[in-house]
Amino acid sequence: MNARFTPSRQEDLSLITGKGHFTADHNYPGMLHAYVIRSMHAHAHIKHLNLDAVRAYPGVRWVACAEDLKALGAGTIVNAMTAKGKEGEEQTLALMPLLAEGTVRFVGQPVAMVFAISALCAQDAAELAEIEYEALEASVDPEKTTLLSSVQLHANAPRNVSLHFASGDAAQVNAAFAKATYASQLRVLSQRLMGVPMEPRAVVAIHDADAGITTVHTPHQGILGMRNFLAMASGAAPESLRIDANDVGGSFGLRAGPYTEHATLVLAARHLGCAVSWVGSRSEIFLSDWHGRALILNGEIALDAEGHILAIRFKDRVDLGAYNCMMSTFIGTRNLSITMGGVYQIPALYMESEVVYTNTTPVSAYRGAGRPDIAYAIERLVDFAAHEHGFDPVVLRRKNFISESAFPYKTSNGSTIDTCLSEKLLDRALEISKYATFEERRAQSLSQGKYRGIGLSTFLEASGAGTAPKDQAWGEFNANGYLYVYGVTGPSGQGHSTSFASIIEKALGWPADRVRYEAGKANQKLLGNGTGGSRSLYGAGSAILAMCHQMLESIKPHAAKKLGVEIAQVHFENGVWLANGLSLSTAQVIDDLANEEKTSLNALGEASSGATYPNGCHIAEVEINPSTGETHLIHYYAVDDLGQVISPQLVRGQVHGGVVQGWGQAFCEQVVYDKQGQLLTGSFMDYAMPRAGCVPHLTNETYEVRTQLNLLGSKGVGESGCTGSLPALANAVMSALRPYGIDQMDMPFTGPKIWAALQKNKL
Amino acid sequence: MYSFNYQKAQSVAQAGAALTRSDASRVISGGMTLIPSLKHRLIQVDELIDITGLPGWRDIRVEEHQLWVGAGATHQSVSRHSEVRTFSNGLSELAGMIGDPQVRARGTIGGSVANNDPAADYPAAVLGLNATIKTQKREIVADDFFLGMFSTALASDEIIEGLRFNKPLKSAYAKFRHAATGYAMAGVFVAQISKGQWRVAVTGATDCVCRWQEAEAAAGTVPKDLRFAHDNVLDDIHAPAAYRTHLVHILYAQAVSHLA
Amino acid sequence: MSQISLNINGHVHNVEVEDRALLADVLRDNLKLTGTHVGCDTSQCGCCTILMNGDAVKSCSMLAVQANGAQITTIEGLADGAILHPIQVAFSNCHALQCGFCTPGMIMATAGLLANNPQPTDAQIHEGLAGNLCRCTGYINIVESVKQAAKVMQEKQA
Repeated sequence: MNARFTPSRQEDLSLITGKGHFTADHNYPGMLHAYVIRSMHAHAHIKHLNLDAVRAYPGVRWVACAEDLKALGAGTIVNAMTAKGKEGEEQTLALMPLLAEGTVRFVGQPVAMVFAISALCAQDAAELAEIEYEALEASVDPEKTTLLSSVQLHANAPRNVSLHFASGDAAQVNAAFAKATYASQLRVLSQRLMGVPMEPRAVVAIHDADAGITTVHTPHQGILGMRNFLAMASGAAPESLRIDANDVGGSFGLRAGPYTEHATLVLAARHLGCAVSWVGSRSEIFLSDWHGRALILNGEIALDAEGHILAIRFKDRVDLGAYNCMMSTFIGTRNLSITMGGVYQIPALYMESEVVYTNTTPVSAYRGAGRPDIAYAIERLVDFAAHEHGFDPVVLRRKNFISESAFPYKTSNGSTIDTCLSEKLLDRALEISKYATFEERRAQSLSQGKYRGIGLSTFLEASGAGTAPKDQAWGEFNANGYLYVYGVTGPSGQGHSTSFASIIEKALGWPADRVRYEAGKANQKLLGNGTGGSRSLYGAGSAILAMCHQMLESIKPHAAKKLGVEIAQVHFENGVWLANGLSLSTAQVIDDLANEEKTSLNALGEASSGATYPNGCHIAEVEINPSTGETHLIHYYAVDDLGQVISPQLVRGQVHGGVVQGWGQAFCEQVVYDKQGQLLTGSFMDYAMPRAGCVPHLTNETYEVRTQLNLLGSKGVGESGCTGSLPALANAVMSALRPYGIDQMDMPFTGPKIWAALQKNKL
Repeated sequence: MYSFNYQKAQSVAQAGAALTRSDASRVISGGMTLIPSLKHRLIQVDELIDITGLPGWRDIRVEEHQLWVGAGATHQSVSRHSEVRTFSNGLSELAGMIGDPQVRARGTIGGSVANNDPAADYPAAVLGLNATIKTQKREIVADDFFLGMFSTALASDEIIEGLRFNKPLKSAYAKFRHAATGYAMAGVFVAQISKGQWRVAVTGATDCVCRWQEAEAAAGTVPKDLRFAHDNVLDDIHAPAAYRTHLVHILYAQAVSHLA
Repeated sequence: MSQISLNINGHVHNVEVEDRALLADVLRDNLKLTGTHVGCDTSQCGCCTILMNGDAVKSCSMLAVQANGAQITTIEGLADGAILHPIQVAFSNCHALQCGFCTPGMIMATAGLLANNPQPTDAQIHEGLAGNLCRCTGYINIVESVKQAAKVMQEKQA
């Protein structure tokens, strides 16, 4: 350590020196390596599967196909949520087998797994597999997949529909439209994306036959969730699985549960009696990591003569991919409905979504999981309606914000928003972005032949309600001078350890650098939610705060004793214990205690924290070069209400990351399949990613409105950047192009697309 | 990748002889194209002969108004070389625009030219300056070298030793980067060879680098009715043919505006 | 198989490797230097970036045999014993890392950039990091940290 260097996050030191422990870094003696044989067809029957030559290849120890896993008690890939349909009907489900059973339904679907002495050996052996496919027609377009002429993917799902969902009051909405003075309609596409955490998916599993426990190293979003889902997928008892809390190279929603490789490796580790490893190549990850978004959102808005929004109605098409996996139903139901009124006071809301199958990689949660998409759709719709009917887009928004006096506000489709001070956030964003003088800058750009635009979004986020009954945190004062805190939520870059240490330092007066958070301890029986829906800070954080409060009670007598006073005379203020003009830090009280006394201070904190409603106003200013269609983002402004901010630096980092992921969706990322279901964007050669300099200037501020919805007072942070940026960027591009006759365009707004639209309108 | 035997070449002749002997032998230079192809098992070789260690392989020198660039000269070394900058502004700036810094530290001009990727940058300079490609067997002028997509006049056992460039009066290169790969979605090299002679080479937009005669006839001007017409303008999910064609026009104008 | 000699972080390692072994895999698997990461298979993410003879290169796009005799610095060798390199310090100070997976490659690419251009402009920093992907930070703090590191390194020179 440099003499005066203190890392800004606890997590940093190992990561900046190359001493991180990511899954692929694990190496056990005698470890075998796996290779997955995947389908090259989007839709085909497997007529013939002969793996004998693979099994016979020198160095190969096991080759598994579907029957082998079934014989070992395997389940299927987990579908985490189902919902009831519009008429109360059960959802149609098509669960994905770990390895294909007779039919493959997307390119990249796992068919068999080879275990050998090295990864290269397994790959060499795999080439000897004899697989004969009978290719079937593929249904790739989510809009056409429900036509009678489309091929049916699953026998139990006619017209390839898994669910027809509805939420809200259709009659009320129809009535509102009937009496509306103005109405607008806008269909937007939130295109299929890849999450691309930089650490490729990987699994290392080792079984301890004596203890009966399989340890699994893998990137994940919380040990409990991964463990429970992995138990379901593999057929192993949950208590027999131990998920390691190693470093995780990003997750973004894709790592809440197991894939084929996780379940198969657990079974392989037991079957083979040795450690097994699988590390995905990026190309196969493009095919097999759950994809994200893939939503078509058809919105309509009804306004009265003064511009008050009377109703919003959505008809959505949700592309599941080939099977129901993990969070896809959640996206297509809850997440497209809970925030569908945005930050507006709308008396009538109604949505329907059709959740459908296509011969493509299954879709699950990716940063925001439907909420950035619906925010995008609403804010585009509001902007579009404003321009269509001659309202100023800022004025129209103000007119419809939920008024301060209306909080807590129950939306017409059942969400209760505690507080959302849109007016204040908007004012601040308009101020820092110098919105009022934009037209001068537009004129200046035009004199240089460039088209300038400014776009804003006033958006509502809804963080995860959590599925566990409560969050728990267990704290132990160790003889080595550290306070160890155990929880369930799993970090993948958010800096949980640092945030939680900050909470503890503030609440307990215990130094942050003597706190160690561990996301999972062997045999721990804590309850809690994994990371997801941006709830770790306030969910686990509130439990930790509760833990601190309990500890304060236990520490008090010791403080009194040390200060030489009665318990009643000592009080805790600003991190120190005070009595009679004397003060002691918490560390001073605790460090001298005997170990048994320290142990008596250990405490379990609990808190039940539901959804919170982060919200914000983001403004983007862009300049388009009409000769190439390229958009340069001049400046991005984010004013966010994230509740009580614990670590400003970490919060800024989360917003940066979310905004740039939004930039990626807005300008360059998209997953493209051809008509036969072949993935055309199968690597970074074709899937364009944001790179350094894409968002050169980002000003972010927080406007803290403490929430009463949890002990900490914080609101979810992680996904807000995405939710705010999609509409802000899109509205900015439309602002630049509207003078040229373009009022709608789907993302990504690539150079060729903008150029072509400008050309078309010139003629 | 599949297994192979690796060896360092003792001489160009020895490396060439190995290529003559077997179809399954390949030479490797920087490896920026070859290694990814091997990793994806798109090609299989039995013998990989590394030609980068040969004496003089990376030399860059001006001799008698001509620039010699050894086949093993990295993009980085060409872009940073002060003599290259004064010799041809276009060649120097092009080398600095290839790929990214890590690629430029390893990729070589010989490798790039021999591969003739339709989206590579170097072919535009080589054709734009009508460089001479010297192999262990003969010399080939650029006009006769680039035959089609990934196809050149090189025989299967022919190895580029280096390129010889004639000094232009002025030159420049303008490129539009492909959002995903960093290759040229289009790239235009403009050179004034002598008082009345201009060359314009276009890469990235079609199936192979080509000259644009109409632009050459414009002699360093940008006429309003200048049109790039080609039978095989590339059309894919990233950009339609019309866009690439359009890029060629604006890149030509950009290159003309910073000729040096 | 070939016998090669690699000078890594100041120590000479003689290893026997398969000819087809990538440098990244030899560093990680044979030499247990797992700080260098593999993030893609089309040479575009830069997570595998190391310094070879002073230049930032992608170790996933080289055979180990091609590096025979070379002087290599990996992330594990950037610090001077217990004294962190200014780039490492700057990355932490500026919160230029979140999950940390791209970080070793990003730091080594920065080292390569600053060795050749000690006072890069913002545009030159963007160009210097064009071969490196990050999904978490949005790059804004990374660019800031490069500037901070450049400043500290200049001051140290003076």
